[in-house]
Amino acid sequence: MKGLRKYDTLLFFLFIAPWIIGFITFFLIPFGTSVFYAFTDARLPGAVTYQFVGLDNFVEMTNDSIFLKSLFNTLYFVVFGVPVVTIGMLLLALLLNMNIKGIALFRTFYYLPTLVPIVATVIIWRLVFNSEFGILNAALGSIGISKIDWLGGEHTIKPVIILLQVWISGSGVLIFLAALKNVPRHLYEAVEIDGAGKVRSFFSITLPMISPSILFVVIIQTMYNFQLFTESLLLSRGGPNYASYTFVYSIYKSTFTDLKFSMAMSQSIFLFILIAVVTWILMKISNRVVYYEGDK
Amino acid sequence: MRSTRTTSTRYIAGVIVKYVLLCTALLLFIGPLVWLLSTMMKTKAETYKMPPTLLPESITFESFERLFAVQPLMLQWIENSLIVSILVVIGAVISSSLVAYGFARFKTNYASRLFPLVLMTLMIPPSIMMIPSYVLFTKLGWIDTWLPLIVPSWLGGAYYIFLFRQFFLTIPQELDEATYLDGGNRWTVYFRVIMPLSKPIIITTIIFAFVNSWLDFLGPFLYIKDSQLFTLSVGLQLLIGQTSQDFPALAAGAFISIIPIAILYFFAQRYIVEGVVLTGSKG
Repeated sequence: MKGLRKYDTLLFFLFIAPWIIGFITFFLIPFGTSVFYAFTDARLPGAVTYQFVGLDNFVEMTNDSIFLKSLFNTLYFVVFGVPVVTIGMLLLALLLNMNIKGIALFRTFYYLPTLVPIVATVIIWRLVFNSEFGILNAALGSIGISKIDWLGGEHTIKPVIILLQVWISGSGVLIFLAALKNVPRHLYEAVEIDGAGKVRSFFSITLPMISPSILFVVIIQTMYNFQLFTESLLLSRGGPNYASYTFVYSIYKSTFTDLKFSMAMSQSIFLFILIAVVTWILMKISNRVVYYEGDK
Repeated sequence: MRSTRTTSTRYIAGVIVKYVLLCTALLLFIGPLVWLLSTMMKTKAETYKMPPTLLPESITFESFERLFAVQPLMLQWIENSLIVSILVVIGAVISSSLVAYGFARFKTNYASRLFPLVLMTLMIPPSIMMIPSYVLFTKLGWIDTWLPLIVPSWLGGAYYIFLFRQFFLTIPQELDEATYLDGGNRWTVYFRVIMPLSKPIIITTIIFAFVNSWLDFLGPFLYIKDSQLFTLSVGLQLLIGQTSQDFPALAAGAFISIIPIAILYFFAQRYIVEGVVLTGSKG
């Protein structure tokens, strides 16, 4: 019997072997060695000669004004982008949750932009936001607003990137939509009898009931915005004047342009700690405001 | 009589307001896509016209000819993307279902101790792993091959393992026991019982893995420098630089990259929606 159990354990490891191999090779080893390198001055990945420099890299990055700007930009995206995108998703979900003929067709179309490859999205945005030939400036021109250099303006590029996130926000909308459908109808009927209007019932029933989904979406969006890179790389190359230069852009540049591999790893670890701390704070706050059914 | 008329007028007004709201929002979401289609079918000269024409004066598909003339590798890139995505799909289904079966059906302490690690890897921000992975693939000599894009999926993707495991847990254990009584073993259960009952989750995984692989930009962008080996997304990036002033050709390129996913979406909407709601990840 004991031998049989041992054999079964062996079989278990055989079944999960692909994951174990993947976990060790593509996660533990690269992550472990990279953390090690974060405290050295290695310039190239796998450099033979390097010295331990302790926390020097971390000190150096806080002295780098462009890095600080990328930190500021990333925080901008988190602080403004996350609420805007989340509220946008929620409003769209409410819209798509209406009981009306043909709503299924609307839902189908709203999700389409989310499935557009990011490079194609950027091409579309270049067509729409082009300052000379774009449709947006033409439309604004017809109501007397003069041309705006959307992608080339220091003050417009960040809002444009946030808007792009709203455009591809279909997954969040779906999550909210599913949550809205799960709110028991009898709760609405109950407050209706108490004479509550639409707005009241939204704040006293809908919001608390879907708060777990809101927390989930906020955390996903926060992580996404902390890691924003591809959008600013493709849309504006981090510019103009570093206005869309993000944290991960810094990491990318440290590795591939400056060839400061150790610095890139120190920055990655810094980002990791930042995300972990912010997520932890969000969870702590949410313990007070998120309502879980079945919690007593 | 009078009161019913006001309620019905009110009702109709409400419906109209709803449709107006829906259509305005729809315009914002579909408008840019329509603008893409319209630009694609214009002549190059027409795109410079002020004010811009909403619809092409005469529909032409010259943009595609110019696209393939400027970038003869377009077809190669489409083929590359398809090959990579299909190999990713096969790997994701086979390996993730095997691993998930291990976690769902073996009563060993290791299973309950190791599974949280699977979930933990889901919470690690991908950009943290960007540089470490790049270093690893450099050392393995995998730069300028498709291996970095394909091999990880053959070693069990955490999302898919999670999805499969949750699904397997809903399949009654009695079926396994009946198979054992008939003389079957673990493999028989996996092949004859579990997998045939798991069609919905297999289809979800196929679609998700395909879409994610097709949409992936950063992976191929970092690991592949040889333009012959580009996937379509990275190829398009090159195209932006080459034809930045030829808007119709650019639009045509973008259009080509959207088609496979759009077709898939219209046929397999249900699975995509379910997958997104289950995992919260972008389809």
